[in-house]
This record gives sequence, C-alpha cells and structure tokens, in this order.
Amino acid sequence: MSTTQGPADSRTSPEMEDLEDLFDTAPCGYVSAGADGRIIRANRTLAGWLGHDVAVFSGKRLQDFLNIAGKIYFETHFAPLLRMQGFFHEVALDLVRADGSTLPVLVNAEERRDAAGQLRFVRVTVFNATDRRRYERELLQARTALEELNRTLEARVVEAVEARLATEDALRQAQKMEAVGQLTGGIAHDFKNMLAVISAALNLTERRLRTGGDVAPFILAARDGVERATALIQRLLAFSRRQALVPVPVDPNRMIAEMVDFLRRTLGNGVQLRTELAPGTGQLLADSSMLENALLNLAINARDAMPGGGELVIATANRLLGVEEAAGQRVAPGPCVTIAVTDTGIGMTPEIAAKAFEPFFTTKGVGQGTGLGLSQVFAFARQSGGHVAIRSAPGEGTTITLCLPQLPAEAAGPAHDASGAEILIVDDDPQSLSLKVEMLSGLGYAVHLARSAVEVQDRLASGPGIALVLTCADMRGHGGRTLAQDLARCRPDLKLLVTSPAAGAGCPDHLPWPAPLDQLAARLQALLDPAR
Amino acid sequence: MDVLERNNVRVEGAGPRTMVFAHGFGCDQNMWRFVWPAFAQGYRVVLFDHVGCGGSALGAYDPQRYAALDGYADDVVQICRRLGVTDGVFVGHSVSAMIGVLAAEAAPDLFREMVMVCPSPRYIDDGAYRGGFSEAQIHELLAFLDENHMGWSRQMAPVIVGNPDRPELAEELTNAFCRTDPEIAKRFARVTFLSDHRDALPRVRPRCLVLQCAEDVIAPQEVGEFVHAQLPDSRYVLLDATGHCPNLSAPDETVAAMTGFLASPAA
Ligand SMILES: Nc1ncnc2c1ncn2[C@@H]1O[C@H](COP(=O)(O)OP(=O)(O)OP(=O)(O)O)[C@@H](O)[C@H]1O
Ligand SMILES: [Mg+2]
Repeated sequence: MSTTQGPADSRTSPEMEDLEDLFDTAPCGYVSAGADGRIIRANRTLAGWLGHDVAVFSGKRLQDFLNIAGKIYFETHFAPLLRMQGFFHEVALDLVRADGSTLPVLVNAEERRDAAGQLRFVRVTVFNATDRRRYERELLQARTALEELNRTLEARVVEAVEARLATEDALRQAQKMEAVGQLTGGIAHDFKNMLAVISAALNLTERRLRTGGDVAPFILAARDGVERATALIQRLLAFSRRQALVPVPVDPNRMIAEMVDFLRRTLGNGVQLRTELAPGTGQLLADSSMLENALLNLAINARDAMPGGGELVIATANRLLGVEEAAGQRVAPGPCVTIAVTDTGIGMTPEIAAKAFEPFFTTKGVGQGTGLGLSQVFAFARQSGGHVAIRSAPGEGTTITLCLPQLPAEAAGPAHDASGAEILIVDDDPQSLSLKVEMLSGLGYAVHLARSAVEVQDRLASGPGIALVLTCADMRGHGGRTLAQDLARCRPDLKLLVTSPAAGAGCPDHLPWPAPLDQLAARLQALLDPAR
Repeated sequence: MDVLERNNVRVEGAGPRTMVFAHGFGCDQNMWRFVWPAFAQGYRVVLFDHVGCGGSALGAYDPQRYAALDGYADDVVQICRRLGVTDGVFVGHSVSAMIGVLAAEAAPDLFREMVMVCPSPRYIDDGAYRGGFSEAQIHELLAFLDENHMGWSRQMAPVIVGNPDRPELAEELTNAFCRTDPEIAKRFARVTFLSDHRDALPRVRPRCLVLQCAEDVIAPQEVGEFVHAQLPDSRYVLLDATGHCPNLSAPDETVAAMTGFLASPAA
C-alpha cells in the first residue's frame, strides 16, 4: 500500500477504486452538494439518465436540473424542509434531461453535519420513478373514475331498475296479450261452431216451413246452440270475475256425449275420437264447466301429442276406491267415477310425467303452450275431492285418468227416461253424426260412435252394453242397409234403426232423416222398451 | 369561528409594539422559527398560518374568499384587529410581502414598518418588467400542479390510497413542518403566481425594508430592485444568502438586517 497521499495515489487504491465504482454505478443517482447548495459531484448513473457529462454538474445546484414547477416547489417547500428537519424523503420531482425531456424521480436529501453542528454537505439520492409515476397517474385516474362511478351509482341503479321494470312490464303485457289472443281465438272458434249449429237449424227450419214440415227439432237444436253460447259467455264472465264455481250433479256420460261433436272439431281430421261410456255410471258432484274445461284440455294435449294423427278414447267407468288407495291419493274412499282420456301419441318420459301437473311446465314452444292445462285439471280434481293420474311411456301413448267421487244415489236427480240404454251410432257424415249424437244424448242415451261399417264390430266388442244400432242407409262403401242385414243375421239381440233421406222406404226399421226429436225418441223407445 | 383559531395564531414575547410574521407560499409559521425569537424581547410577536396551511382550520378555506390575495390580506387585518395591533411591524415573506401591502392599504393604522423578505409584486414578465418567469413557464407550473404529482410522494399516498376514514394516517405521513393541503396549495400557487400588485407599491405608507437574496429563482434581484424603486420609503438590502428563504438559510443575516432597519430613525 502506498504511503504517499494524493489524488493520483488514492485512485490506485483498490478500496478507493471499489468505492468509486460503487458510487458511480449504483442503481440510483448520487449527488453531493456543499453547504451553499452547489453540487460537488454527481455519479455516472445520474449523468447517464440526464444525458450529461458528469463534469456538467459541479458548481450547479440541483434546482438547475429541475423543471420550472420543480424549481418553485424546491425553493418554497423542500429547501425549507431540509433546513428545518435536516432531510426530506421521497419528494416527487421532474428532472430535465439534456434533450429537454423530463425524467420523473423521487428525491431524498439529507444534511451531513460535523460534531460542532456545522453543515458539511448535503447527500442527495435520486431514484428513477418513471414506472411509479405512471402507476400513480393510473391510480389517480382510476380513483377519479371510481368516484364518478360512486357519485352516479344511485342514479344508475334507479335507471337500471326502471329499465328492468319496464322490460318486465312489457313482457307481462306481451304474455297477457298472447294469453288473450289464445283465449279469444279459442272462444271465437267455439262461438263459430255454436253459430254454425244455430244457422244450420235456422236454414233447415226455413226449408221445412216451405215444405210445410215439422220445425220443432230444428228450433230445439237452435235453442240448444243459444244455450251453449250463453253458458260459454257465463263461463267467460265467471273467469273474468274469478267467481267461485258451483258444483252441481253431473252425469259424466251425458256431458261427454254432448262434448263429442265439439271435441271432434277441435281435434281435427287426423284424430279419431271414440268414447267408451260405461252404462250406469253414477253422477258426479262437480262444476260442470270446469269438468268440460278439463276434458277439453286433456283432448287438446292428446291432439298435440299426435301430430301425425292417432286415436283418442274417452272412457268412463265406476270404481270403488279402496281405503289404501284412497289414503295414498289422500282422498276419501268410496265409489267414484273415472274418466280416462287415452291417446296413441308420443307419450311422456317419467321426468316429464313427474312435472306435467306443475303450473307453467310445458315442453311446447313459445306461444304454443302456457303449461297451465294440466295444472288446471289437477286443481279441478283436487277441489272436487278426487285425483288425477298419468300413465304414460315414450312411444306408447298416454292415459290420463280423472277419478272423482260419485254422488250418493239419493242425492242424484231423477233419472232420465232412457238412462242406461246404450246406442251405437254409425254414420260417415260428420254433420249428421254430430246431430244424432246431440239428439240421442239429449234424450239421455249413452252413445257409442262408429264412422264406418268396419268399425262396428270393434265398438260392439268393446261396448257389450250396446242395445241398439242407429245407422244410415246412404253410407259409402259398405252401405248401411247391408250393415243392418249383416247385424240382423249375426246379432239378432241388437235392435236396429236405419235413417235415410229417402222417404217411405217401407222397412220397419227405417226412419226418414232428418227426423224431429220427438219422432226419434218415440221410435227408439218403442224399439228398446216394447213393453211400454 | 374565531380568527385566532382559524389562522392558528400564536402570540409570543412582550413589548410595546407588535411584530406580525406572515409566511409565504409553501410553508407555515415554522418558516420564522430561527428569526422570531430574536425579537421576542422587544416585541409582542404574532405568528400565524394562512388558511389552508400548517395548523389553520382547513374547513375555513373558501375558494371564493381566497381567489385573490385580498382575502389573505383581509385575514391579516382581522387578526390584527382581534389582537388590537396598531403601529406594528409587518414581516412578510415572499407572496406575504404583497399581502402585507394590501392589508396596510386597507387598514393604514396597523403598521408603521414593513419588512419584505424576497417580495415580488408580479412573477410573470411584462414588457420591460422582468418578473423572472415567462407566461408559458407559469402555465407549465400550474398544469403540473393540476396533474397532481407535485409535492411529497408520501403525502400523495393518502390521496392515492384514499383513506379518508383514517386522517391520522395522513397526519403521520405528512411532514411535521410546512404542512399544506395539496388541493389548497394548488389554488394558493395559482393565486400567487398569477397575481400582479405592482400598482399598490407606490401607495404604501409604512417605512419598508426590502430583503433580497442572491440567486433567487422565485424573486430575482431585478424584482427586489423594482419593488424598492416603487416604494415611497424603503431600504434595500441585498443579502449574501442565496435562494428564496434567507429566514431559514441565513437567519442571522436576516435578523441583523431587520434589527438595523428597525433601529434606524424614520426618514
Ligand atoms: N297427452 C300427452 N302426451 C304427451 N305429453 C303430454 C300430454 N299431456 C301433457 N303432456 C306434457 O305435459 C306438458 C304440460 O301439459 P299442460 O297441458 O299442463 O301444458 P301445455 O299443454 O304444454 O300448455 P297449455 O295446456 O297451457 O296450452 C306438456 O307440455 C307435455 O309435455
Ligand atoms: Mg295443455
């Protein structure tokens, strides 16, 4: 180690060299300033940042390298602070580079005093704060944005809620309109049918009046149409007023027979409707319009399940509900009447069947189904003290069975004249068929239907109670007359009545058609109960 | 609110006359900590903080009232009236020298002498007048202040983190000396550096001492000379001290100049 003192030698000292290197290449800027604030030396890091030669710094003051705001703030804030507390820390300033651009820095300064308290020099460290400044700026911007957001939050919530409510209102309104549309569509359809009946009856009356015949049956038919229209209106009024509906004694067979025509028109041509009405079914205590409505819903569901066509059977039966089964369904045990609606449609998976009674459950597209049909059927069954069950499997059709308590015999009204007698109507003309159904069921007969001679054997097989076959002479294909001869041969126990527009065919089983109601009633009664 | 509380007024010493010390932009009454004790024997010393600075009531800051130096001058008048000051000595640093000028004009009985430390009636150059700053420079300063990056980064911390629930945190982070509310400091800077009260100087009635520093970037020598030239009755002293705060960097020299001035007979 050299003993000679001097700058040249100190530069050669390894320790000094190391310190010099440490000073010059530190990751921060170093400045030492004298008591008068003039820079004694700056390190290469700072010089490099600012694009100056290290020599440029000596004799200058730190303020000389600040932008104008920095100069002012340094003089008014930081110099006083340094003087008063001996240091300042992390002051954000902008240094100006040789090329005029600015470098954001954080500056620390500390006074170094000797033992006597005399200020020796000021040590200044400078940190590059480019990243930090950007980060601070972003934070401040985010904060301002957040404040703005908070300030307007309430207003925006109110706005959003209002928008939401408006949308919901619109949706509700749309749903209401859709429901109203469906409802009015359905009602229009019903009314059209009723008016068609009335209109046809009036036409026939007119014609009959010209020829001097009996108009009574047609007036009766017209009055029936008017009554049904009135009933429908009442139902609508009841619906709109949400009236509690009134249970009355109802003969289910008769009701179903009365609905057949209407149902058939609803179901369209693709679906064959058949009824299997067990003779002697008891009466029910139910709101008749609700029951009608339930049957209509079931029929429509069946139609929807058979887009390619199929068969729909409405069957009634008496049943004695056992204690156990009743408990399982949570209804009272005892005699009841079942109305089973069976289709040959797509059927339901167990999952769908499990949910089918839920309100608003539907597998139908928007505007196709509201999912209320079965829930109404379910509610009706429950309110009537009964229950409803689904038997269905995919591809195997569906049977929905309403089980309603029977009205005790003594409570039931007086039996109809022809109650219990089952008649098979065979007719391939729907108009004529429906008129016959109306008339027969109006007279109190239980009605079975066949649309062709071919169906007759099946109907007779499934309806062992059938006592009379009402057919017509002018059927296409297998004529009614031939049918009558066949039947007379193989089923001599059956009574026969053949309707024909041709008057005076001279046969004992012949009835000119259309016939007045009383005439029809008289002929049927004569055939079925010759003793009277 | 009582003005003494509003301006964090502190009264020290005793004497037949009152010496009122007013700090400038950037600090508070701490600015005078090395100077006022020298006068506490012969004077009643009054120290205060401008509203928005130091221990003043920040809530009393009314942007309208303090949109011009007259608001600050009115505070000085109110403080002096409250303390019954007449024929006193006003010592104003930097912008407060001009605040004193306005106060003295509004209430001529308050001061008999005024000491102006590094005064400037206008900072922006104007024709032949050299204020030390171009208009562009002052606007650069104001734009920079608006960007909110000036000042203590640590003081910025509560602003950035936004913790108004814990003011003690801000208190702790902020410096013990020269506390300023950053928002108010920004406005004070605007009012200060855009002010122009050159026309008031010839109307000043008290006897004045103009203390000028060498190498003062804020109030250059020419400005001190201009002030001295405009004042009807003034003494001009160019200190050896450099910078803008001789009261801190060269308190002895400052005190000596003041004592000399006050001891000298009125012209
Ligand atoms: N006969 C059936 N065959 C197959 N699926 C059925 C049958 N009946 C009901 N379903 C299923 O049960 C669902 C619910 O029926 P529901 O009658 O309650 O409502 P919907 O027919 O869809 O609509 P809405 O009757 O209100 O017009 C139907 O969407 C369908 O998936
Ligand atoms: Mg349905």
